[in-house]
Amino acid sequence: MSAYFNPTIAGLTVRATLGRRRALLFAIPAVILIALTLVLRASRPGTDALWPDRVLGDFGFSVLLPLTALIVGTGVLGAEIDDGSAIHLLATPVRRGSVVVTKFAVAAMVTAIFAAVPELVAGLLAPNSGKLAFALFVGALAGSLIYSAVFLLASVLTTRAIAFGLLYVLIWEGLLSNLVGGARILSIAHYCLGIANAVHPDANLNAGLTLATSLILGVIVTVGALILATRRLSAFAIQGEPA
Amino acid sequence: MTVIQIKNVSRWYGNVVAVNDITMDIGPGVTGLLGPNGAGKSTILHMIAGFLAPSRGTLTVHPALGEPVPTWRNPDIYRNLGLVPERDSVYAFLTGEEFVRSTAKLHRLGNPGAAVSKAIAMTDMGQAADRRIATYSKGMRQRIKVAAALVHDPEILLLDEPFNGMDPRQRIHMMELLAKLGAEGRTILFSSHILEEVERLSGTIQVMVAGRLAASGDFRAIRRLMTSRPHVFNVRSSDDRTLAALLVGRPWTTAVELTAKGLQVRTSDFGAFCAQIAVLTRDHKIALRELLPTDESLESVFGYLISSQGS
Amino acid sequence: MPADLSVPSTGGPSVIHDLGYRRYDGPRLGRAQIIRALAWHSFRAAFGLGRGAKAKIVPLVALVALCLPAAISAFAMSRGNARLVDYDTYTPALRDLVMTVFVAVQAPELVSRDLRSRVLPLYFARPINTIDYPLAKYLAFTGACLVMIEGPLLLLYGGSIANVHGGSAVWAQTRALIPGLLVGLMWAVVLAAISLFLASATGRRAFATGAVAIFLLLTFTLSEILLQVEGQNQGPQAAAVNGGPPPPGATVHVQQLVYVPSLAEKISGLFSPFTLFDGVRMWLGGTDMADGVYNPGGFGAVYALVLVVLTALCLYGLAARYRKARLS
Repeated sequence: MSAYFNPTIAGLTVRATLGRRRALLFAIPAVILIALTLVLRASRPGTDALWPDRVLGDFGFSVLLPLTALIVGTGVLGAEIDDGSAIHLLATPVRRGSVVVTKFAVAAMVTAIFAAVPELVAGLLAPNSGKLAFALFVGALAGSLIYSAVFLLASVLTTRAIAFGLLYVLIWEGLLSNLVGGARILSIAHYCLGIANAVHPDANLNAGLTLATSLILGVIVTVGALILATRRLSAFAIQGEPA
Repeated sequence: MTVIQIKNVSRWYGNVVAVNDITMDIGPGVTGLLGPNGAGKSTILHMIAGFLAPSRGTLTVHPALGEPVPTWRNPDIYRNLGLVPERDSVYAFLTGEEFVRSTAKLHRLGNPGAAVSKAIAMTDMGQAADRRIATYSKGMRQRIKVAAALVHDPEILLLDEPFNGMDPRQRIHMMELLAKLGAEGRTILFSSHILEEVERLSGTIQVMVAGRLAASGDFRAIRRLMTSRPHVFNVRSSDDRTLAALLVGRPWTTAVELTAKGLQVRTSDFGAFCAQIAVLTRDHKIALRELLPTDESLESVFGYLISSQGS
Repeated sequence: MPADLSVPSTGGPSVIHDLGYRRYDGPRLGRAQIIRALAWHSFRAAFGLGRGAKAKIVPLVALVALCLPAAISAFAMSRGNARLVDYDTYTPALRDLVMTVFVAVQAPELVSRDLRSRVLPLYFARPINTIDYPLAKYLAFTGACLVMIEGPLLLLYGGSIANVHGGSAVWAQTRALIPGLLVGLMWAVVLAAISLFLASATGRRAFATGAVAIFLLLTFTLSEILLQVEGQNQGPQAAAVNGGPPPPGATVHVQQLVYVPSLAEKISGLFSPFTLFDGVRMWLGGTDMADGVYNPGGFGAVYALVLVVLTALCLYGLAARYRKARLS
């Protein structure tokens, strides 16, 4: 079963995701991140400033990245399943794996553009944070991949993927996994922090996992999610009224 | 020659049985799937199209070249199969032409441009093809869906309530298109609850009531089979009363009614009546002016089937 | 069952009854009842009642998560400890996040669903004013948020008074509860307005959830960062609590250091509804928090003003959205 990138599907998905007002929803947070960086840089030019950690970490990494990935990842396939236009896509001999892989690629790319790249830009603009910026950029790229795969799987499994995804991001990643040490292995944010920490160790990242653990778990989660999503999509059934 | 074979297929959702042990064979030409709402027509169509798994039974597609294949979890059937779903959902941000073209590319057609133009011309969407689908009326959306389903020249075409939302002119055009496709040897299966459409278009009908297959075949032939219900004829002649008295004397007449517009005769034996009415009138020197079967319509067949299932 | 036809009916002439369509000429309920019916239906929808099981998961998880601190506190009090959480702050981090999830996921259930399924013309073809629809939705969602916030507080209260003895202790708990309830009311009123306004912009639930979540989280993180950043650059400034020098011979009072926030810090708290809540709460006499928003003192009036203006704008936007009974 060949699963490869399908340019037609990619084009449709990009147009659907970024069409009209939706691009605004993703662009505004990225703009705010960069604007905030610029404002703080102007008012606090000191090189010993501690604010880059906050801005890049709390704002960019902990909020902007997962939320963008959530909205994009659940939307690339979820929106079509939700309004029924997925059937036009699936009533073709296109391999289901190809659909999943292509949409995953688009989701990861859009997330990277609207979350990882602004993170890098903000990091480079912030004083004395070049290395941190690059580390977080790599971590955010990993996050784009892992989050997109997981949220894509969620959107195939249920129509309420964004609700459960929000629960996961805010409650699990925001609160619980920080409280219980062992729970870090179940937190995508920690995989990304582990990777970022390996690029440029920084105690402020609070990364609890080693690079090896993060990479292995990240790959397992991503590939596993894509495989599961393909299997579920192969059994795509039209729900609804018997008529 | 069977193209779609459905064997003992049932589908239930919890306690609700949507399709109840249906067996049918569908061959080339136009077949109408007729039934009231809730009969299970959409369910069967989705199962044939591979978008719903049967709870029991098998549905297989027999392509002209190759082995019979089950429809569930088998994307290759779409090389030969086009589906026009009922739900009014297409990518609203695309133009009609872009939509058909993307479908053509997903089917990996060698020359998408030519196929797209042909499909759009067939469904008479040439003028509107450059506008976004969001601006289309319902009938236009139906037609662009049909164009997308036809772009890869499929052997089988499945349509779920295709005439929904079409005005009479569009409906006639679509019927002509489907009739032409059926005459070319394709297998066209469409569902409808509007008798007039099915009557005009399909040669074979499959009647579904409450999840069961109530009857299948040519509707006139089905009418013949309903022997328990007498056939009704309107007869006008030069001497109605004498003819009525003669008819009452025959054993195959169940009732004769004298109305202002002529006689209404109920007969239990269609063949005998047809054979002997002319002889009768000639022998008694009555001129037969009009002989009209009144309940040959699909409507009466359908009504009978519905009521017999319901009781 | 037809009547036995062999027995002639006694008395009275035969009559054929008119069983056709009838108009309703009885009393009709008024506008208040319409609003109440719609509000009750929407209130139930906010908790997923009347829909399938999956719709109830998020409200249920959110409610349980919010009640956990109350339950734990009650348990701890039964072992002799003091109450673990306050009524007016409760557990700030948990409450911020859980309420964000709740309003982001449930506000679209109230307004976006109607837009998507295009039932607005059905509503407005009835004797309902166009202002009644958003009013009913707002009342319903405020009520739902109240349940989410005050429910755990009442649970905390119940757990506390079960473990204290004596009328004065109970009265102390009650006195502490009242401000907490009022703070909860403020939360519900404002969060319902913001989330309904944002959600009514689109018929796609996922999009609406994303918009509300992004708005609340981004503003919150923004305010937090600004507060922390501004706070780092100011040392605590000493200010005498008891005015004037101590009288000779009296015990020397230790001068308490009171943190006076700078103007930049005060403004930092204006960007997020959650920090606005804390600012108003402290301005009205609530307890200071260990970290986070600093007591704005008199500036708290600006916090209150911003909050009121924000709510008013959201409500106006919500009403304006439905002024024309469009299809979507």
